[in-house]
Amino acid sequence: MSSIKEKFNQISPSEFFYSNRDLAGFSNPTRSLYTAVREFVENALDACDQKGILPDVHLTIKAVDPDKPDPKPYILTVKDNGPGVDAKHIPLAFGTVLYGSKFGLKQARGMFGLGATMAILYGQITTNKPVIVKSCADGQIQNQFEILLDIQKNKPVIVKHTEKEASKKGLSVSICLEGDYSKAGNKIRDYVYETSLITPYATITFDDPKGQKFQHPRFVKEIPPPPTIIRPHPHGIDVERIRRMIVESQFEIPTIDDVMIEKVRKDLGLSKQNLSFTAIMAKAKKKWKNLSRQVRVVIALLSFLKMDFEKLSKIRIEDLDVPNKKLHYWDFGDSQSKTVDMDPESQYYKQLTNTVQGEPLTTFLTKRFQRVGPTTAVKFAEFAKFKPEKRMGTLTNQELVNLSDSLQKFDDFMAPDSSCLAPLGESPLEKGIKKFFNPDFVAVVQRPASAYSGFPFIVEMGIAYGGDIKSGGPHVYRYANRIPLLYDEGSDVVLKVVNDTDWGRYKVKGDPPFIIVSHICSTRIPYKTAGKENVADRQEIERELRLALQFLSRKLAAFMSKRGQAEMAKKRANLYAKYIPMIAEFCTELAGKKKEPNYKKILEELEPVEVKTEKTVEEEKPIESK
Amino acid sequence: MKASEKKAKEISKKAKEKQKNILESLKSHGAKIYEDLENGQFPKFSIPSRSVSNIVYDKKLRQYILGNSTALRSAKNSAQLRSFTQLMWLAFFANRLTQEKKSSTLRDVYYSSQAFAIEFDDQSESDNIIVDLEAVTSRPREDFHIFPEERSSIFGDLNIEYTIPGYEGKSMNLSNHPDGYSIGPSLTTAELVDTSAEIVIAIEKGGLFTRFVEEQVDKKFKSIIINTGGQAPRSTRTLLKRLHDEMGLPVIILTDGDVYGEHIAMVIKSGSANAAHLRELTVPDAKWVGVWATDIEKYKLPTIPMTESDIKRCYDLQKDPRYESGIWKKELEVFLRLKRKAELEAFAKYGLTNITDKYLPQKLELAKSL
Repeated sequence: MSSIKEKFNQISPSEFFYSNRDLAGFSNPTRSLYTAVREFVENALDACDQKGILPDVHLTIKAVDPDKPDPKPYILTVKDNGPGVDAKHIPLAFGTVLYGSKFGLKQARGMFGLGATMAILYGQITTNKPVIVKSCADGQIQNQFEILLDIQKNKPVIVKHTEKEASKKGLSVSICLEGDYSKAGNKIRDYVYETSLITPYATITFDDPKGQKFQHPRFVKEIPPPPTIIRPHPHGIDVERIRRMIVESQFEIPTIDDVMIEKVRKDLGLSKQNLSFTAIMAKAKKKWKNLSRQVRVVIALLSFLKMDFEKLSKIRIEDLDVPNKKLHYWDFGDSQSKTVDMDPESQYYKQLTNTVQGEPLTTFLTKRFQRVGPTTAVKFAEFAKFKPEKRMGTLTNQELVNLSDSLQKFDDFMAPDSSCLAPLGESPLEKGIKKFFNPDFVAVVQRPASAYSGFPFIVEMGIAYGGDIKSGGPHVYRYANRIPLLYDEGSDVVLKVVNDTDWGRYKVKGDPPFIIVSHICSTRIPYKTAGKENVADRQEIERELRLALQFLSRKLAAFMSKRGQAEMAKKRANLYAKYIPMIAEFCTELAGKKKEPNYKKILEELEPVEVKTEKTVEEEKPIESK
Repeated sequence: MKASEKKAKEISKKAKEKQKNILESLKSHGAKIYEDLENGQFPKFSIPSRSVSNIVYDKKLRQYILGNSTALRSAKNSAQLRSFTQLMWLAFFANRLTQEKKSSTLRDVYYSSQAFAIEFDDQSESDNIIVDLEAVTSRPREDFHIFPEERSSIFGDLNIEYTIPGYEGKSMNLSNHPDGYSIGPSLTTAELVDTSAEIVIAIEKGGLFTRFVEEQVDKKFKSIIINTGGQAPRSTRTLLKRLHDEMGLPVIILTDGDVYGEHIAMVIKSGSANAAHLRELTVPDAKWVGVWATDIEKYKLPTIPMTESDIKRCYDLQKDPRYESGIWKKELEVFLRLKRKAELEAFAKYGLTNITDKYLPQKLELAKSL
């Protein structure tokens, strides 16, 4: 038997994605063209959103050789009026995988700009052409790069770099890739159309390979408030997350070396003086408020050691035994370990325990989590059977698990802060629906923020009936973080909720012309696949979707029954208008008269009161804690 | 000659009088509707209710009549608007028919409506509106020149004079054609001038009618023979009534020996619940002379068993007040006991002419004592 020596090679992220491109939605020319469009358009919109710029996004797809049959190479260009990218970042941003600016806990369409690099990578693989990036970040100079990716090294190769004068900020990215527009065209047009519905403040244009232009000018002038980065919500946080937060919160006992001593002297304003222990403590007490935490810890140690700076420089702290109130140190002068007692009543003792054992539970909760006040924190401690002053640093593994469980189960935390989310808002959503469908009825709702697994989310939904809407509804328009979801709808949670609804109960029957627009905003959308096309059925999300849909369906039912009544009244009026003149005609001959009776009076009385089709909008609810 | 001329004039005058009455009636109804409209009101009229609860048996009249409850039909009620309009059209159409002396059938009415954009879902809807018109005016549809499809016929020495346009004053003897004369609009409206007959024999079946003509029953028994063709149509019942009332002829009825035959006789005698709104259709003195249930035993007729629906029909009729006494009650009970029935043709067992030679004379004799 021969032993085979396995070779372990570290592969670069570029290589990894190259061999797993199916995961990211680059499985075939049709899907790849569509995914590339998405990634670039979404990047452009995200960039504008972050800087509060009303986006102008221009998408162009051109065949390299129009006469060739599909699939064939296409040039895809997306140009925006965003902030642009600094010239020095361009090669890394567009020439490496896993380089980006979108980090942190807040809502954005994409994460890390990963997808765009994937598209560039795909283009390079299929056509061996570089990506062309034109960027102007200062409004004066436009940098133009032609970049290839070194897949094995995950490094950019700059093919060409030129500069020229420019007058406007913005970014244009152009790649050459193999695609199949004859098959992907429908989806891309749908994508552009649906994106403009959920991004009513953006102007999006699309020039397709056949020379058709699709223009979607903005019809809302305000950008929804941008999201902010925030602390996590206690619901649904896990043990590992708590452990990391505790580590972050703990403060190491500083090493007391010459540098540290010099810092303490300086902060106390004693650089040149050699004061006695008592004098130092007096000085420290005076300046306490202005001292840094590190310095405070040193002073606290000093209070038990009862030394001056000279002496302090000759020892090393070995251990701080808080439970036994002992302080152990090594004396270099005597070359032996020594111990001093600490007085638990001393304020310096408190200072030290804080440092070593971490914050008390209540402080931990109020400081590290969003929207937890002191009262709630104490209530929670009682609920979780912890002492409120329990030091976070002293929790055992079991206690950590208990804490984590309790955090999830405690119901009195306030709803998560939604300021990290950027829902579109009821009014723009309604305007969008009205503009796109000219419906007889529309209602929109934004649910209060909720959370799943510690991630806040908001469900926005709109329902519309009649007007330009095609029959055969409900037609469902699904969005997540302002991205339309077009593929794999069968397994989506929104579809599940819609299909579970018995529309007959809401007086919607037959082949109704109606649509549902669903928008889920979250710091993390639980997609089922990396292709970002369908949302998994998380219980919390499903519940919010259901509540939103029920609320809107009831409004629709009210409209339908009013409409039914109005239709009945109209039908009745038509009935009279049809039959009364006939009766008049027949009775005239029957009565032997020449002139018909004046029946107009009756018909006028019957003139139905014009029933206006009602367009309901819920009052815009203030989004909590903005 | 002079006398007959005078009579012809009288006839014509009478017919004109009747037509005038009908037209007046229609006009008055039309005028009321016209007035309502002119006054800015929704036209309305009342109509005797034809619901089951309002159909009662009048012992004095010996027929079913409508009670006192009436229904208001208003054009304001959108649910009634369509039928209201249909009825108005029908009155309008009947008015034209009557004025122009044109006849039509129930089916004609159904199709004619379409020329005026009046919709009837089917003929039964238009038939129902025709009944409405009868109820409102208390006149049979024949008065408005609306007739059912014909299947009954008449034969015998009866002189008539037509009143229909084109035949006015023309006379006819109804024994000239051995197949008989079908009882249609012209016969129903004709004047009955004179007859040598002393009795009218109404018979349920065409086959027997032909045999009776062949065997010269009309001459042998001085009779007018009428084939009712099953349940007698209303025009036939009208004619029977007129022969009885105007010519003073007794009417006897011969039917199959089963519960349906018994009821055919009863309808000629006292009408049907369906026509409770009309009073000119009955011959209360008409006599049912056979075939009785008791005849089945008496003449040992070949029989066939009664079906379940026959038996059910017997029980149903037992609840009818007209079957509470006399032979009506008795025969029904015997049918139920025998659970068998016999047709008129059953007498052929004793020879084809047995029914005219033996049975009929016995029954005619018997009728005198009924």
